Amino acid sequence: MTTGLDDLHVMLGAYVLGGLSDEDHRTFSEHLRSCRQCQTELGQVSGMPRLLDLAGPEGGPHLTDAQVGAPVPLITEPDDERVATLLGEVGRRRRRRRAWLSVVAAAAAVLIFAGGAWLGPQLLGPSTPTLPTTRVAAAPVAGSQVRIDIALVTRGWGTQLDVVCNDMPTNGELALWVIDRSGKATTAASWRATPAGSSRVTGATALRTNEIQSLEVRTGTGRVLAAAQT
Amino acid sequence: MPLDDEAIAEIYREHGPMLRRVVWRATSDANRVEDIVQEVILRVWKQAPEADNLRAYLITTARHLIVDQHRAAGRRPQQAQLGEIAESDSALDRALDQVLVEEALGRLQTNHREIVRCLYYERMTVAETSRRVGVPEGTVKSRAYYAVRNLRVILDEMGVTR
Repeated sequence: MTTGLDDLHVMLGAYVLGGLSDEDHRTFSEHLRSCRQCQTELGQVSGMPRLLDLAGPEGGPHLTDAQVGAPVPLITEPDDERVATLLGEVGRRRRRRRAWLSVVAAAAAVLIFAGGAWLGPQLLGPSTPTLPTTRVAAAPVAGSQVRIDIALVTRGWGTQLDVVCNDMPTNGELALWVIDRSGKATTAASWRATPAGSSRVTGATALRTNEIQSLEVRTGTGRVLAAAQT
Repeated sequence: MPLDDEAIAEIYREHGPMLRRVVWRATSDANRVEDIVQEVILRVWKQAPEADNLRAYLITTARHLIVDQHRAAGRRPQQAQLGEIAESDSALDRALDQVLVEEALGRLQTNHREIVRCLYYERMTVAETSRRVGVPEGTVKSRAYYAVRNLRVILDEMGVTR
């Protein structure tokens, strides 16, 4: 039997799931040794058997006719009523949040606006794929004129921090510090000041967005230029 | 801003049933299911994510909520040992992953799901599967290939990254 390259590549599926004949298994193993593409793809799916095993020996309710486990309890309230309850709660929290915001806004510290981020996709159009993002403007400390905007992007590994700085110092080093809920500060990015006084950098932290208490941009000597509460 | 009310309702209508299934299977507590689901949506509203890959975000949020509540429940009577918390957390994580894998299998297209069932769960060979399903062996192989790839994509979308 002659085996084309495409035939070889697709054997990866049965190689992972099992079921290749001895001859096909040998052929594919040989191919795998020299094929970068298959090696990469195998790396992405080699954990599949372990995941499939989680669904039990028969693969769970979608693969068997028998209903496994108790069914989801029936919801007696009509859907609209639950939506109304939810929106009522949103309204309540929004008012509470707004009251809290107005206190902080006096200090010009925070510009997160919960509802506002929904505007993002509408302004950018629906085709822009984006991750859950919170935007904050860091308020300059007294005597500092810097303008700093930070986007906190929720990632699988933590939080990506996209920083846009303007009117910054024009020499020395700068750093973005992340302070967690326990008050512990760690550096998430450091960069060199530019003569133009503006830069865009991206930092990263293992903290989840809701574990970040505040963000600070400091000079290399540790002077805080601006801070943002989340 | 009234504009996001509709967005919230939309997310709730679209993802509520899936979340309810996942939370129910993970907690087996009928009284908590709707509370947790609503809290998940409220958190999403509060953290205001932009809308792409919302499913993974919702599931991750539900996972955190369930784990947090589970921990709080464990702490209440008396401070639980750290080891115990870690152990029950990983059991909970496993339970959640199980539910998500089952959900993912449910979202696979039927002819791919059939191949996964034969090759993986029933330990059939490609030749046996070909006879059972009534398609050539080459088709079994290519369906197996796309089944595995699509499953990976669906799981990624649900935030199951291992």
